[in-house]
Amino acid sequence: MRFAFTDDQIAFRDAVRELLEKECTPAHVREAWTNATGRIPGLWEKLTDMGVVGMLAPEARGGLELTMVDLVLILEETGRCAAPEPIVETAAFGVPLLERADRTVATARTLVPWADTADVIVTEAGRFERDAVELVARPSVDGARRLFEVRGTPAPVDGDAIAAAFDRAVVGTAAQQCGLAQRMLDMTVEYTKERRQFGVPIGSFQAVKHHLANARIALEFARPLVYRAAATLDPVHASMAKYKADEAALMTARAALQCHGAIGYTTEYDLHLYMKRSWALARSMGDGRLHRSRVGAAIL
Amino acid sequence: MNVAVCVKQIPDPAVPGSLSSDHTLDRSGKLILDESDSYGVEMALQLVDAAGGGEVTLISMAPNDEVSGLRTALAMGAAKAILVSDPALAGSDALSTAKVLAKSIERAGDIDLVLAATESSDGYTGTVPAQVGELLGWPALTFSRHVEIADGKVKVQRQTEAGYDEVEASLPAIVSVTAGVVEPRYPSFKGIMAAKNKPVDKVTAADLGLDASQVGWAGARQEIVNVEQAPARQAGEKFEDDGTGAEKIVAFLEQLKVV
Repeated sequence: MRFAFTDDQIAFRDAVRELLEKECTPAHVREAWTNATGRIPGLWEKLTDMGVVGMLAPEARGGLELTMVDLVLILEETGRCAAPEPIVETAAFGVPLLERADRTVATARTLVPWADTADVIVTEAGRFERDAVELVARPSVDGARRLFEVRGTPAPVDGDAIAAAFDRAVVGTAAQQCGLAQRMLDMTVEYTKERRQFGVPIGSFQAVKHHLANARIALEFARPLVYRAAATLDPVHASMAKYKADEAALMTARAALQCHGAIGYTTEYDLHLYMKRSWALARSMGDGRLHRSRVGAAIL
Repeated sequence: MNVAVCVKQIPDPAVPGSLSSDHTLDRSGKLILDESDSYGVEMALQLVDAAGGGEVTLISMAPNDEVSGLRTALAMGAAKAILVSDPALAGSDALSTAKVLAKSIERAGDIDLVLAATESSDGYTGTVPAQVGELLGWPALTFSRHVEIADGKVKVQRQTEAGYDEVEASLPAIVSVTAGVVEPRYPSFKGIMAAKNKPVDKVTAADLGLDASQVGWAGARQEIVNVEQAPARQAGEKFEDDGTGAEKIVAFLEQLKVV
């Protein structure tokens, strides 16, 4: 058995990375913070045309019949650039659940991000059509990730199907956290090579190196768990992945903030776009407590 | 309508390039599609689409049987490629390159139009498209910012300093396009998967009927005698602000005729 990604999977990832590097820059994400929807105009259509959104759909429904292993690297990329799009909610959660790729799906356990721009909203209560619900906007730490309370009468959805969809979304969110951690680490490594103090780059100080090394180790330990969970889709594996990926992202965010110093606190600097997304995702699709208890219940 | 596109595979510009001991660019690593060529590929796909039939053939000369950049263009939708890879081609100057490309276009056969970028992003000679046109005996229209085919002719808007000239030529012809002539598409996943199975015709200089003395170091009429670092940017002039700082800035801007 080969425990590595195929050339195709790497090629898909590279294609998505190239697209996002041009179409989802920090400037785009910053703009999404203040525009009408929190999303980047035109980006969803480009991701759809490329085949990202419908990857897991049956071929007869315009999809590619690929698997979570194919999708996981791509979701990592969407995390790396903090793409403000319901891509986990649609590509990982909604498309296989609805067995169709032409509807944008919003989902959450509590407050639903981007619910106002979705066609279908799915919560634990069931399924809502967008035009049949009342949405109440709620504040979010991440200005591009607009949150809504959903009020309405849901149609029932099969519980097992929802559970499986939830686990895919858990893995997808974990993958995004890995991408976010990588981005914040990369930014910080660059910054500490340029920022000088006492006549030398601050990255040459051991105390700064330790922060960055700790972040790197956390990320390298989280990634294999995420990839394994994508392959097995085992709920316990998914929980392990989410917990460790959240931990890596939160630790990297903290180290990044520390190493950047005062500039890291400013909203004029890009770090906060990624840091706040990682905070938001750590509480999305189950927080640490939920995932620890799922792992605990399985091993005790 | 069949369109050939000359595409160059170049070292990733994001990675600092290095020179070999013979002053040529080190091309031993992975090569990617020159971004300036993606405009030609997109233009070709759109022209073939508009014509309602035909296909796009890629023409490339690269060391070590490199196909990474070709796969990108094939994933965008090109049908097939001719790759000329031959150690005898090392050291080729612009004219030798043009000879290889012209012979490759003849090999492709039944080509109505050849597209190329204005210049490559690693060599910047900007002379190859006109040389290929001359070797083939076809009209060469350069610096095109808009291309259309009508009545068996190619009509282009040729970018000038003041605006553009409208130029037309009979087919077959070669046209070099500027960045921005069209917006290149992103390859789709289906395109990426299909690209693996598209034919790449790998040939040598001899296969094209070119004698080794005509190409590579042997045929080069240019010689790179030395390479020097570009001069470092001069440090600006520093003034301590003694209350007249604003006036000095204004005087400086006036001198530049900015204000």
